[in-house]
Amino acid sequence: MMVFPDDLLYSREHTWARVDGNLVTVGLTDYGQAKLGEILNIDLPEVDTYVEQDEPFGTIESAATVTELISPVSGDVVRVNDDIADDVGIINSDPYDTGWMIVVEMTDASELDNLLDSSEYNDYVLGEEGLD
Amino acid sequence: MDRWRLIPYHKFSAFENMAIDEAIFRGNQLGQSPPTLRFYGWDPPALSVGYFQDVDQEVDVGYCRKNRVDIVRRPTGGKAVFHDRELTYSFISSEKQGPFTPGVLGTYLVISRCILKGIAGLGIAAEVAQDSPSVERVNTAHCFSFPSRYEILIAGKKVCGSAQTRANGAFLQHGSLLLCFDPAKALCAIRDRRGRVTEDTLREAVTYLGAYLPEGQTDPEYLSGVLKAGFEDILRVEFVEGRLTPEEEALRDKLLTDKYLSGQWNREGRVPAKDRIS
Repeated sequence: MMVFPDDLLYSREHTWARVDGNLVTVGLTDYGQAKLGEILNIDLPEVDTYVEQDEPFGTIESAATVTELISPVSGDVVRVNDDIADDVGIINSDPYDTGWMIVVEMTDASELDNLLDSSEYNDYVLGEEGLD
Repeated sequence: MDRWRLIPYHKFSAFENMAIDEAIFRGNQLGQSPPTLRFYGWDPPALSVGYFQDVDQEVDVGYCRKNRVDIVRRPTGGKAVFHDRELTYSFISSEKQGPFTPGVLGTYLVISRCILKGIAGLGIAAEVAQDSPSVERVNTAHCFSFPSRYEILIAGKKVCGSAQTRANGAFLQHGSLLLCFDPAKALCAIRDRRGRVTEDTLREAVTYLGAYLPEGQTDPEYLSGVLKAGFEDILRVEFVEGRLTPEEEALRDKLLTDKYLSGQWNREGRVPAKDRIS
């Protein structure tokens, strides 16, 4: 059973956003990681890189497939989870906690309006699976 | 019945092949390029490495230079492939078109069924690998040293290696269908520092179509026609022969110059900032 915590916001590209003031922690949703399968490699931006909403901030590899990671907000990357480079499996096993990827200092809080809450995201996933 | 584009078999350099595929892939993401099946060969023979591979660690660059084997980094994942006597395909589509499902493995399965159908047309019984390899097995430099889930096997041995990249709802899948296989030659260009992949392990793990077909039937142009029929049957579309659009040709040329002929991309996996194509 997929888990979509209520305290997070979600993008249609299957990243989650945990908002704390103007800092937004970003990771891959439980559905996103399941869709990719076992993750083998990841390439994340360096601190101070500017990322844009709906644009790639990194790449991830699973099952010989390279997939872009899409940022849910715009801003400067202020922290990167270096631990996941050594153990990418935590993105599969713990996507909402130790599997976080980057923290972005958000430049435009109104972009959060483009994201989905847990219930809306659940419906979106059902639609993508053709189950709505 | 939908009509999708077929770009017929032709040999190109490794760099041109990757630039053509990426140009179509980018065009498809923008809704400007149709779903496309392309068949091709490699002239001269080349080594392609996966997006995340470390060329310095996993490729014998000196051997490749000495033997005029081009080295190119693919936009797709997976491991290194020595491209010589094979039929390569690329398939580019939106995952919302045709019978594709949202997940990565679902796409592999559909395309593998297309190829299986084609191979069945040659009177060869192939099957789809059902098990996922362990991380330990995946941790080798050589694509053909293990089958991934939903890759194609003949008599339990891998005959076709595949890899994908996905962006903006579109995907590009590459696949190499072996017509002949020389384990010694394949090993020369690829470094396996752990020493686990040997000629014997490759012989055990890999097969090729030529082992099952009379000589005339391993002609890549003939085989691409057979595979095309498999794709049409499974996808329930008609593939109509076409060529690159002027926009795709322009993007191919730019990608060729700025990315695939760049040592920085092929060696390090990065495109020089001044040459990045958005």
